[in-house]
Amino acid sequence: MFVGEELVKVDARAKVAGRAAFAYDLKTENMLFACVFRSERRHGRIRHIDLGEALALEGVVRILSAKDIPGKNLFGAIRKDQPFLADGTVRFAGEPILIVVGKDEDIARRALTLIKVDYEELCPILCAADAALTPVLVHEGGNMLSCRTLRKGDVDRGFADADVVAENTFGTQWVDHAFMETEAGFAYPDGDGRIVIRSSTQNVHYKRAEVAAMLGVPEERIRVLQATTGGGFGGKLDVTVEGFLGLAVYHLKQPVMMRYTREESFLSNTKRHPLSIEYKTGARKDGTLTAVKVGIIGDTGPYGSYGETVCLRAAVHATGPYEVPHVWVDSRMFFTNNPLSGAMRGFGMPQLAFAHESQMDEIASLLRIDPLEIRMRNALRKGSLTATSQVLSASAGLLETLWQIEPFWRRRQKRGKGAGFGLGCMYYGIGNTGVPNPANAHVELGEDGLVILHTGACDIGQGSDTVLLQILLDTLSLDPRCVVLDRGDTDTSEDAGSSSASRQTYVSGKAVYEAGLKMREFLERHGYYRGKDLREIYRFAKDERPLRFDGYFDPPAGGIDRETSQGVPYATYGFATHMAEVQVEEATGECRVRKVHASHDVGKAVNPKLVRGQIQGGVAMGVGFALMEEFIPGKTSSFDTYYLPTSMDIPEIEVMLVEDPEPTGPYGAKGVGEPALVPQAAGIVNAIRDAVGVKVYELPCNVERLKILLEGKEKA
Amino acid sequence: MAMRGTVKTLHFRLNGKREATEVEDDELLLTTLRERFSLKSVKEACSIGECGVCTVLIDDEPHYSCLTLASRVEGREVKTVEFLGDMDMLHPLQESFITHGAVQCGYCTPAMLLVGYSLLRKHPQPTEDQIREAISGNLCRCTGYTQIIEAIRDAAPFFESHTKD
Amino acid sequence: MRLHFSSLTPRTKGEALTYLSDLDRAKLLAGGTDLLVRMKRGESHGYLIDIAALEGLSGAVLDGARIRVGAASTHRSISLDPLVLESARSLARAASWIGSPQVRTVGTIGGNLVNASPAADSIPPLLVHDALLTLESMEGERTERVEEFITAPYRTTITGKEMLTAISLEPLPAYEEGYRRVAKRAAWAISRLGIAWSILEQDGAFADVRLAIGSCTPLPFRARSMERFLLGRKRETSVIREAVKICLDEIRRISGERPSFTYKLPVVRDLLQGILGGR
Repeated sequence: MFVGEELVKVDARAKVAGRAAFAYDLKTENMLFACVFRSERRHGRIRHIDLGEALALEGVVRILSAKDIPGKNLFGAIRKDQPFLADGTVRFAGEPILIVVGKDEDIARRALTLIKVDYEELCPILCAADAALTPVLVHEGGNMLSCRTLRKGDVDRGFADADVVAENTFGTQWVDHAFMETEAGFAYPDGDGRIVIRSSTQNVHYKRAEVAAMLGVPEERIRVLQATTGGGFGGKLDVTVEGFLGLAVYHLKQPVMMRYTREESFLSNTKRHPLSIEYKTGARKDGTLTAVKVGIIGDTGPYGSYGETVCLRAAVHATGPYEVPHVWVDSRMFFTNNPLSGAMRGFGMPQLAFAHESQMDEIASLLRIDPLEIRMRNALRKGSLTATSQVLSASAGLLETLWQIEPFWRRRQKRGKGAGFGLGCMYYGIGNTGVPNPANAHVELGEDGLVILHTGACDIGQGSDTVLLQILLDTLSLDPRCVVLDRGDTDTSEDAGSSSASRQTYVSGKAVYEAGLKMREFLERHGYYRGKDLREIYRFAKDERPLRFDGYFDPPAGGIDRETSQGVPYATYGFATHMAEVQVEEATGECRVRKVHASHDVGKAVNPKLVRGQIQGGVAMGVGFALMEEFIPGKTSSFDTYYLPTSMDIPEIEVMLVEDPEPTGPYGAKGVGEPALVPQAAGIVNAIRDAVGVKVYELPCNVERLKILLEGKEKA
Repeated sequence: MAMRGTVKTLHFRLNGKREATEVEDDELLLTTLRERFSLKSVKEACSIGECGVCTVLIDDEPHYSCLTLASRVEGREVKTVEFLGDMDMLHPLQESFITHGAVQCGYCTPAMLLVGYSLLRKHPQPTEDQIREAISGNLCRCTGYTQIIEAIRDAAPFFESHTKD
Repeated sequence: MRLHFSSLTPRTKGEALTYLSDLDRAKLLAGGTDLLVRMKRGESHGYLIDIAALEGLSGAVLDGARIRVGAASTHRSISLDPLVLESARSLARAASWIGSPQVRTVGTIGGNLVNASPAADSIPPLLVHDALLTLESMEGERTERVEEFITAPYRTTITGKEMLTAISLEPLPAYEEGYRRVAKRAAWAISRLGIAWSILEQDGAFADVRLAIGSCTPLPFRARSMERFLLGRKRETSVIREAVKICLDEIRRISGERPSFTYKLPVVRDLLQGILGGR
């Protein structure tokens, strides 16, 4: 039995021994170094570039520009609208313009300082609300990237049915992924003249496709491998170093290394979308919700990236995990010349949860109903209709998570002045929203009697390598010593999709399971379970070679209507309740989160220790999102000006798991990576309200903002 | 224009062994360890002493190697995580990290291990508060610190402040 | 950014001063946590003179009626020093908050002072103890009060040829003393506000009050108007309320109305109530 066991992570040994080689650790003497010359302007046209001094610097090998791109100079996760290298126009501070390749990093970075660019300044759009109205365009075709609408029932009737209505506007900030390992990678030409790229990444097949299109070559001419990756959180889904490396090797035919400085990573990496959320909730006297109306405006920066995904997910989940008969949501993303926003753990849901959970507490307060009680009353459960009118037929354990939290909630006792407790609930669709997002996997029996699992699923620290192996071991009833993992190589694995949307356990896991079932049938036929040796079986089955068994899984989500978003956006959802205990010091506005109880329905915990680790990490990120993280364009440069929670900021965390099996998942498993974070900030904000009676509408609720709110309350 | 650094010979103990190497005047210990001694376990993530992943031990005290001149370790003892153990034989603290799930992406791990080691040498039975405080100069984005703290706490009874040859 | 400089490790203070005097574009290096970061961000110096291990520049000793703290004393050592804990406790407390454990191991009080950030945690305690700084060069020695030494944010009277060697403090062993700072996270953060206080109460009245606030005004601030008001007065709510008002008025008078005051002054007000009230 492996599924459900706390198997040791397969990569842990190398990591604690300091032997795990991240991309930059694989640097060799013969590698050139490439770095990016970036725009200092937020919006401008490039009039002239003077490379004279830079090219004259000894050791500078080549400077590449958009002109050197043989294929397409546009990439993007959804729409191909982002240039690899700016071609005339720059649209955000940090936009890549040139690649400088030098003999070593010192020379390359010094050359950057010698490049002179003459810009024609264009008026920058710095506010999403302005973007809707201004005649100044970031792109031809208007400043709106995406508009997604959800319509269920009749929201006006819903409000008419309501006994109480709460209406508030919430705002959130830019947040950086702040993975500990910055973007890095290297590339080289192999013996056949193909370009091989190894990088810190959350996907490999996607990167290959983009690089191939950029170079105008067939995909088979490019090989992408995942290096040990030091964190992703959505920030290594888009092309980062891969395009630059591909272009450099294409022209120079020599090995090239890249790594971003921390400042560069902060400047250029995608951010969590800052959202402005207008939220109106109606409820009956008994606490049942009748109507929810939400208007979301997001600042997506100058290019699409994952903006459309965030736009849609926010619309679909805007009600929170509750049954609401009448729902109206308008979710819009606008182009600006602000930092590029994209995929960031939760795709808009940490922001929306802040809003929907604050609203629940407000309604609870208006009706004098206990916050836990009101959530139980409205909680989605088996048989419920979601906001998209999807019927939840299985694996909907929100009530179970509330029941797990209940004894702690009922027993809560304020330790003194400034102490408070708050709840945050969430649900989160696993996998991409309303579109196919399949995973492939295959297993192979090799000559030496080893079973090889080939997967393109990238392990970014969350433990997918281990989880997928556990699933395979159970499916095949195999000894762990017989299995070898081949992961993250476009040459030897099929596309598993990205490690994002909390999808790898569910989607790749199921694909691995399917492949495993096929191999199991083969092994059974050949007597493995009656004692035959794998090597023997390999020899015996020579007519059936290659002994390869393919698995494929695409979550059975039917899709949604373009106008109303009604339909089935996801095949399964994670559900969770967090309870936060805070201590606010009213004199200073300092807020400490003392304890968090977190209960998650994960379907089946393939590896409970890894699940707990994800939840604890999500709680920490939620503390940061709620209380201290804020990327301020022009001000934030590195960790001295962007505060991540330290060990002293983290509460005591108690994790509880609910396993309401998902029938379509591998052994009932769903996902937890993003659910771990989604409800945390919401719980903290509600706890602050309980502690000091202050309502928080802006994140982060840092020391200064909280003190100002407290002062305002005093004066009122 | 600043002068190019001159080169000196540095004598120090590294992971239990006496070493001598050329270093430049303006060379940082991080570079010396990674480039001259191929100790890739010493990571770099911010270069300005604000993240902790470059932490090494100098005379068993944690230091940010990205802000330490190589010349500073003249006559002193430097330890990186390679000192604790290797793939075939891990230190109990390393084993504890493995069994407690304290390793996710692994980028902060070598630094965390060294801080844990340094603490346990001084405080054989640290409280959780002491552990929390000791690692408060090391960022982790993945784990939320909890399993790291538990790993250090639970390694205490098995801790040996051994020297590797 | 890769650094370019030559470094020297003098064996004595005299050697260090000679280097400073003879060399152009030389800078003293102690902890390095400020200087090296600034140099990575573009500040350039030809020579770094490493004084971290110089004899006689570290530790706290009684020197006549005052405590003499070596400028190269690390924050860690100061936070644990028995003499400082007993007679200048606010300084020990402040030192325990600076940076992170790794920073406190190498960062020095001298470096903190010479960097002269308005948020430097060592400044308010030194003000409270009427600190005198000793600056030495080949030309000789001079003494200066902290308030005179710091002339503007990040600016001091130190010349390129001088070394800060010692800080002397008036010991206040019997006083009720402490340091409180406010920051945006629980550890490893720049102080948004820092208050050092040392109070002597006798028979229910303020016999002596010393209080300094950091990170609030551009220059080091000791609340002298408030201190004068409190002398001899009863330690009771109405007195304290009046005293706090005097302090806030003085801050406003010095700095004008700054945007950060919307947040900071109410915090100062509320923390002072607590401190003066003995909580």
